[in-house]
Amino acid sequence: MRSATLRGVFADAPPTGAPPPPSCRAGRATISRSTTSVWPQLEPLLTSVRKPARYVGGEGNAVVKDPASVERRWLLIYPDVYEVGQPNQGVQILYEVLNERSPVAAERGYAPWPDMEALQRDHAIPFFSLESHLPMTAFDIVGFSLSAEVGATNVLTCLDLGGVPLRAVDRGEGDPLVLAGGHAAFNPEPLAPFLDVVVAGDGEEFVGELDDLLARAQRQGWSRASLLEGAARLEGAYVPALYEPVYEDAARPGETLPRLRSTRPRRADLPERIPKRTVADLDAWPYPKRQLVPLTETVHERYAVEIFRGCTRGCRFCQAGMITRPVRERSKATIEAMVAEGLASTGLEEVGLLSLSSADHSEIRGLCGDLADAYDGTNTSLSLPSTRVDAFNVALAEELSRGGRRSGLTFAPEAGTERMRAVINKHASEADMLRTAEAAYASGWRHLKLYFMVGLPTETDDDVLGIAELGRKVAAIGRQHGRKHTVTVSVGGFVPKAHTPFQWCAQDPPEEIRRKLALLRQRVSAERNLTVRAHDPEPGLVEGLLARGDRRVADVVERAWSLGARFDGWAEHFDLAAWQRASEELGIDPAWYTQRPRDVDEALPWDHLDSGLERDWLRDDYEEALAGRELDDCRWGSCYDCGVCLGLDLDHELAAGRGATLRASPG
Amino acid sequence: MRARVRYTKRGKLRFVSAIDLGRVWERALRRAGVPIAYSEGFHAHPKVSFPDALPLGYASLAEYAELRFAEPVDLPEAMTRLNACLPEGVDVRSAVEVAEGAPRLAKWLRASVWDLAYPETAAAALPPAVRAVTDAGEVLVARLRKEEATTLDLRPAIHHLSTTDDAEDGVTTPTVRATLHHVEPPMRPSEVHRALDDATRRLAGVALPAPTVTTRIAQGEPTAEGLREALDGTLVPSHPENPEEATYRDRQPAAPRERGDDDRGVAHPGAHPHPHAPR
Repeated sequence: MRSATLRGVFADAPPTGAPPPPSCRAGRATISRSTTSVWPQLEPLLTSVRKPARYVGGEGNAVVKDPASVERRWLLIYPDVYEVGQPNQGVQILYEVLNERSPVAAERGYAPWPDMEALQRDHAIPFFSLESHLPMTAFDIVGFSLSAEVGATNVLTCLDLGGVPLRAVDRGEGDPLVLAGGHAAFNPEPLAPFLDVVVAGDGEEFVGELDDLLARAQRQGWSRASLLEGAARLEGAYVPALYEPVYEDAARPGETLPRLRSTRPRRADLPERIPKRTVADLDAWPYPKRQLVPLTETVHERYAVEIFRGCTRGCRFCQAGMITRPVRERSKATIEAMVAEGLASTGLEEVGLLSLSSADHSEIRGLCGDLADAYDGTNTSLSLPSTRVDAFNVALAEELSRGGRRSGLTFAPEAGTERMRAVINKHASEADMLRTAEAAYASGWRHLKLYFMVGLPTETDDDVLGIAELGRKVAAIGRQHGRKHTVTVSVGGFVPKAHTPFQWCAQDPPEEIRRKLALLRQRVSAERNLTVRAHDPEPGLVEGLLARGDRRVADVVERAWSLGARFDGWAEHFDLAAWQRASEELGIDPAWYTQRPRDVDEALPWDHLDSGLERDWLRDDYEEALAGRELDDCRWGSCYDCGVCLGLDLDHELAAGRGATLRASPG
Repeated sequence: MRARVRYTKRGKLRFVSAIDLGRVWERALRRAGVPIAYSEGFHAHPKVSFPDALPLGYASLAEYAELRFAEPVDLPEAMTRLNACLPEGVDVRSAVEVAEGAPRLAKWLRASVWDLAYPETAAAALPPAVRAVTDAGEVLVARLRKEEATTLDLRPAIHHLSTTDDAEDGVTTPTVRATLHHVEPPMRPSEVHRALDDATRRLAGVALPAPTVTTRIAQGEPTAEGLREALDGTLVPSHPENPEEATYRDRQPAAPRERGDDDRGVAHPGAHPHPHAPR
């Protein structure tokens, strides 16, 4: 659901020109393998594309190294358009970590908008980096940040435009190593044939290890195969070519595809399950220090500091919360130092204190108060993108916006009824919600935005209508404070994700989501100060296919891409017909992957990637969910043995009382 | 304290829109620690304003900004710090303090000098095309206005049009220098190129290749000898300069003068009384 919010970020963007050419490989032969800048060819074309600043680089704090001093080149790609990709924290962090190594040049690239892609193909301009405008083939490692599943087709566009064979098996000695990480890498199978190395989890330490390995490989003249061998031995590295999915012989009765039996290493010396990487001490990695400052408008223009990583709220739908455990807080001192340095080095006017639930930081109150004091009168705004539903959150927002503008505040009750919220383990009662709304309107906020999902497991029409009822109650509170006070109810279709207690659930088909949305809209149609916002449900089908697909889905991705699928997270580009035709041609039924409840003992395509969560615990938690039983936050409450802390020999690392942990370390 | 600055926008920065460039300025001012004044109210914004917007894709050596500081500043020192924080391609070249109550800068920006740099293959075609356009009584160019095709006469907007001559000027980049009055609706250098292209098609039956880069060289008051630059009164010639000889382009930020007794309100170093200055 969260990734669905990508859509419509630029809902006002005018439509672009012609769709990409049907045969996207056509350009391959003409893409040269040169290692010189493409800028001279690119520059004359830039006045004929929309938003040319996307392609020029030159941002504040960009690192451009002298080619003579560079021994190893990394190209870090966020496979979406510049203004969405540029603010990505993962890319910015790894960019700095790598560039701090003097013989390494880490440069960046983003997916070209379709107008630029067409122009690049017409003029045989390969995919290029923004720093030196070097073609992709000039790089040793090409790393993709996969935050969202819907970037899959853009990955193929980038590789193909770069002149790099799409499939790892077709790559040779001169080709870069293609790496992927990010949240969507926790189920890499739908992209596995296109990737040489995948790493799930935190990248800060891993990129250094891989870079060391690359240095050795260069010194000793290793073959590509030896480098891949070496990479496979790095902790957390998954080399898809060395693992093989095995399927049942035939589809079971009533099913359209044979189920997966298991994904096995091809050799006995490889681990059966690849652990995720976890950075234990975030204070040791205080990045970004010198955040990139864009020259053109992006989706987030703020100095962003991650105040903690991980989440223990235990929302059962939330993949991010599950795969990033345990909680590792940054200390207040480190955060304050990062904010000071970050503002000084960027000139940005806003600071975002990021995390999955920022109000949960153990020192949040003191942190917000001190930062608000420190930057009082400097025209610096502070934001806490927390959507926790409680009055404390309002108090924090009040502190951060002292005397400033209070236009909108966002909360995420996620579901409309108490029963439904118990199922998804979202601890928020209706009384909490209404108290929070009262506090927010009373403190001067005029617009509240409430996030919800439909299509949740066990959901009934009453639960859907509960969203409308809750929205109406909040709207009524708003009216008591002012005629123009409003509430926006934003609704997404739930997409079950890997490594969550809902990984076995059936996803609602788009027509069912549509029906539920209509039901909801009908119930609130008379409300003047309540608006319902929802996206088309069809892209959720592709998101679901990619989120829980296996390696067979890779063929669908490639075929859909060759039929023109691009920017699948963008409503203006999403092409359902391409995906439908691709899956029909290949006989790979998206409904089998998305709308079929999976057996709890069924092999799952991501079983060989170890997020640290015990499968038994996920199953138990799923059963608790179906029984409508909630689970406490284990940061403060008792441990319920999800397996992460024990497996990593770590504990939740809290900033408050640094050094002492709340519970005895299991080690 | 108020100040006016002239700055460049070129290189990769010419692909940054005017709106985006405003944000680039605001951040550079913050980073440089220049005490810029802020507006009052919920949407406090730094007091930097831009008298006109350079269309996307054009380079410029003569863009202007007006700044208001919260306290008096040492202008040359502040501009040196600011230049260190502005991205490559944007450089403050001249800065002057402005008296309170002085008229807006836009009033002095009556014309622009543009250099259209052509590929070498255009060298032979340019002189006859420039003559044809200069000699014409009217130069009609097509325009889309509210999705309706109309034609406009470019000729009244052309103050002067001139081109380099390979033999005489010894340059390898054939350049057309166009001094265009600021008129309503504005005429753009791309329309000068279209007129030159039309003339070349008529005269030689071939198309004129498009300019590689078009650069605004100066803005100010058009005179018979050239254009008097708005900030410091330098006379910019109407004929394209040999890059080696052009001193105007690489001027360092000018030291501010004492607040002027010049009634324009601008402390400007040239002793050229402005023809339109209130007496």
